Amino acid sequence: MRPFELTAPATVDAALATPGTFLAGGTTLVDLMKLNVLTPQHVLDINELPLRGIDTSAGLRVGALERMADIAAHPGVYPAISRALLLSASQQLRNMASIGGNLLQRTRCTYFRDVAMPCNKREPGSGCPAVNGANRMHAIFGASEHCVATHASDVAVALVALDAEIRLVSEDGERVVALRDFYRQPGDTPDVENDLRPGELITEVHVPRKDWAAHSTYVKVRDRQSYEFALCSAAVALDVQDGRIVDARVAAGGVATVPWRLPAVEESLRGKPVGLASFEEAASKAVDTAELLAGNAFKASLLKRTIVRALLELTEGGLR
Amino acid sequence: MTSRVDAPLKVTGQARYGADHNFPGMAYGYLVLSTIARGRIVAMDVTAAKSAPGVLGVYSPFDPLELHAVSTPMLGETWVPLQDDQVAYYGQAIGFVVAETFEQARDAAMLVEVSYQALPAATSMADGMATAEDAPPSRDGSPSSLEILAPGVESIDEAFAASPVVVEATYSTAPQNHAAMEPHSAVAVWGDGGVTVYSGNQGAMLQVMELAAALGVGPERVHAVNPFVGGAFGGKGRTSAPAFLAAAAARALGRPVKAALAREQVFTATAGRAATVQKLTLGADHQGTLIAMRHDSWCSTAMDRSFVEPTSHGTSREYYATQNLALSQKIVPLNLPPTTFMRAPGEAPGSFALESAIDELAVALNMDPIELRLRNNATAPVGKDLQWSSKHLDECFHVGAARFGWAQRTPQGRTDGDWLVGMGVASALFPALRFPASVEITLRADDTAVVSTGGSDPGTGLLTVLSLVGGESLDIAADRVTPRLGDSAYPPGGMSAGSTATASASTAVMIAATQVIDDLLGLASAPDAPFHGVEVSYEGGRVLGGGRSLSFGELLRALDRESLSATGSSAPGDEYTKHSFSSFGAQFCEVRVHRWTREARVSRMLGVFDAGRIINEKTARSQIAGGMIWGVSAALHEALEFEAGGRPANADLAGYLVPVNADIPDIDVHFLRYPDTLHNAVGAKGIGEIGTVGMAAAVANAVYNATGIRVRHIPITIEDLLID
Repeated sequence: MRPFELTAPATVDAALATPGTFLAGGTTLVDLMKLNVLTPQHVLDINELPLRGIDTSAGLRVGALERMADIAAHPGVYPAISRALLLSASQQLRNMASIGGNLLQRTRCTYFRDVAMPCNKREPGSGCPAVNGANRMHAIFGASEHCVATHASDVAVALVALDAEIRLVSEDGERVVALRDFYRQPGDTPDVENDLRPGELITEVHVPRKDWAAHSTYVKVRDRQSYEFALCSAAVALDVQDGRIVDARVAAGGVATVPWRLPAVEESLRGKPVGLASFEEAASKAVDTAELLAGNAFKASLLKRTIVRALLELTEGGLR
Repeated sequence: MTSRVDAPLKVTGQARYGADHNFPGMAYGYLVLSTIARGRIVAMDVTAAKSAPGVLGVYSPFDPLELHAVSTPMLGETWVPLQDDQVAYYGQAIGFVVAETFEQARDAAMLVEVSYQALPAATSMADGMATAEDAPPSRDGSPSSLEILAPGVESIDEAFAASPVVVEATYSTAPQNHAAMEPHSAVAVWGDGGVTVYSGNQGAMLQVMELAAALGVGPERVHAVNPFVGGAFGGKGRTSAPAFLAAAAARALGRPVKAALAREQVFTATAGRAATVQKLTLGADHQGTLIAMRHDSWCSTAMDRSFVEPTSHGTSREYYATQNLALSQKIVPLNLPPTTFMRAPGEAPGSFALESAIDELAVALNMDPIELRLRNNATAPVGKDLQWSSKHLDECFHVGAARFGWAQRTPQGRTDGDWLVGMGVASALFPALRFPASVEITLRADDTAVVSTGGSDPGTGLLTVLSLVGGESLDIAADRVTPRLGDSAYPPGGMSAGSTATASASTAVMIAATQVIDDLLGLASAPDAPFHGVEVSYEGGRVLGGGRSLSFGELLRALDRESLSATGSSAPGDEYTKHSFSSFGAQFCEVRVHRWTREARVSRMLGVFDAGRIINEKTARSQIAGGMIWGVSAALHEALEFEAGGRPANADLAGYLVPVNADIPDIDVHFLRYPDTLHNAVGAKGIGEIGTVGMAAAVANAVYNATGIRVRHIPITIEDLLID
């Protein structure tokens, strides 16, 4: 960790006027500063900014500084979102980590986190050891020869499934972006992970009210029962009428460089009767575009199974 | 049932571990590690580091600290950092930066630029198998290969040819790291009398011997202190690199130095468990009687060949009665971090292979796996005529089967909703050993007693055992006994290694107590003493004679003495020429595998153990439960993954998985409680390691029962159980 200057602006305007790196819960930034992966000279503690509030009166509206634990526990938060939050990290981390910070968390790729190793995301042009290295945790979707790191957030997968949008503010003004469009696949610039502009701050997350949002769930598959990133996860939401699927939203985590919507799966589900046959058929469309690496080829099978499981749990009611 | 005597200090944060010690003027050291697996350090540019704020010293092979070669009778040679420019593994200590603060030292360490002449590194166990070497003879001189054949049998192959049922399979186990909560660390302070080093270790005397040799001073000039140890598991037997470096830098700088490994450094700059590959062949008749066994083992080792993980001799010679047995042990030297003792070294990975193979034989015979084990019960190790002093393994299985509901098991497992449910079982065995130990007992004028020995309690419960056995031996309540451990000023004994501490130290406590009571009675009846001229005896902490009695405190006060001390020593004797000694156990578990996503989770587990007298049920149960959790971890989670370049790919606690609470169900532990007084006067045998021994195979066997999938390597992960 390099010496740095720490200031705590009291207003959003003050925060935007000061060049520096925003610090919210600190669960990503401080971690990576200790590893010398991030070496900001000026850190802006934004925890005093008035970016709070959880409102479920019209969809879900959450201030960017709300903590993961508080959102998960709030009544009326859509099930896929609260489950994704509760299955993330540990209670201690959820108590600290903000929803805005969660969406911007950096990858867990072992090479990104180790400054002794090359990494195109950390040092553009230095190379990607994961392509031919330890890549069991890495992506089968959205990767490039320059980067195969997965996006680590659970709740971002649920939010992308539920068509969430985020409000961004900078000195140039405010804008609202669909979360699905916010993330950038690595291509040949893996250091660019999203559409965030210099000095821009996430102020709010909004999930629209839709019939399928309340009928949603999130299934996370991992190597231990808790406190572990997803090997594979699925957020699913269904609008079911008279036993038939009217509309569907499906997104996957742990398998892609960004939270990964699966439109082919959604399309397959639409109009089908609720049931295992429909689910298996739809899940089989999930991996058509998958690009498998030596260590993660099993994720093609696992993703299909995870989607089926999530759809079964959603429609059979209750969780086992 | 006595609660752990040090628990209140630990749970309230008052227990001071090695790195919790702070001194005026103390400086902080941070290690620099190699980033190649093999080669030579050509140069280290330390200019930027030396001029960084607060830096006091930057040490390297080109500007080393004064440290000498270390060799001790107990541990052999121990590597000392910075003494040459050779790199033998990725993550080897090659530099040490000392600064006014920890942050300054860490920051400066990142500024050291290292130039290497890299050489091709051997890092693959699979590739190295072709050029494996015979393991050196074991400590008792027995060769790495042996063959025991029934009269008239010419070869082991002939015995297999004559076996109606033969199973053969190859198993492998992953390299592991102890991953103790307390990273290897030390605080070193020099004074007129020499150096005091506060550092978690498994026996203060070992640390003194190694530090004295490294520092080139007499052992009387080294004081090792470790009253609390945050987990050791075999990984804190040798003196750590931070301890050597802190002691040498503190001398060079003339001020106290603290050094601790960062978590990621623990995975390479220490030592871990070897990878193993094991080929098992079992031959039996149709009734399940073993005719022949063959167990060929390979383990990884560092290039200095300093440790062998002995998986075949410690298991397949001990577990079952067979007329024909062939064993071999080979080593595969690799440019990977050193290997060392780790909880049940040899027995844990060895038992995974053997007890999986026995399960496979049971399947081949269509026989209950408990029944198969009972039919091959051994009364002595194969080819030895020394029978076990006390063995009730069959009772472990009978009691365990009843407690666990084994009768409900079917060969195909069962389903519960979307979960496939299976049961598995395995035997566990760990040798009962004993080391020489000395213990001092001090009777004090306030009617309390102190029991002291230099060993350690890294969570094992030894401190509590000392108070209980001390109280029992002095015939007073245990809460009047203050146990003390973890200081080289105390007599050497109670080293935390080989599941020996309770048996070794308790025996010495009994001897010391007898001695101090004799001395007390001598004082009592000496001229001018209260009981002069009368016959005296001792009971309940009191001296009795002439129709009256005084507590030992009253007597000491009457004699104007503050205390009376005596030391007792014990050591293994000729009992090993008369019997074989082991602890035994039967371990059961139930595993659930999700029908769709194939996670394997343990839902119930039970261990029934025949481990001699249990001194304290509560801490003993914790020891065993901890061991069983270790076994689950080995079976389903733990693997240190080395890349082709020798770098560990998962060297942090997010990537190196150990179970969290949610992975561990309720644990049932049951002890049979047959004191083994042929082994030692107290009748206790070891329980520190046996809990982990049978667990991995029990899990793998349960996974097979649940899914029909036989996984022959650990850890077992989701992709092993995906079938499309």
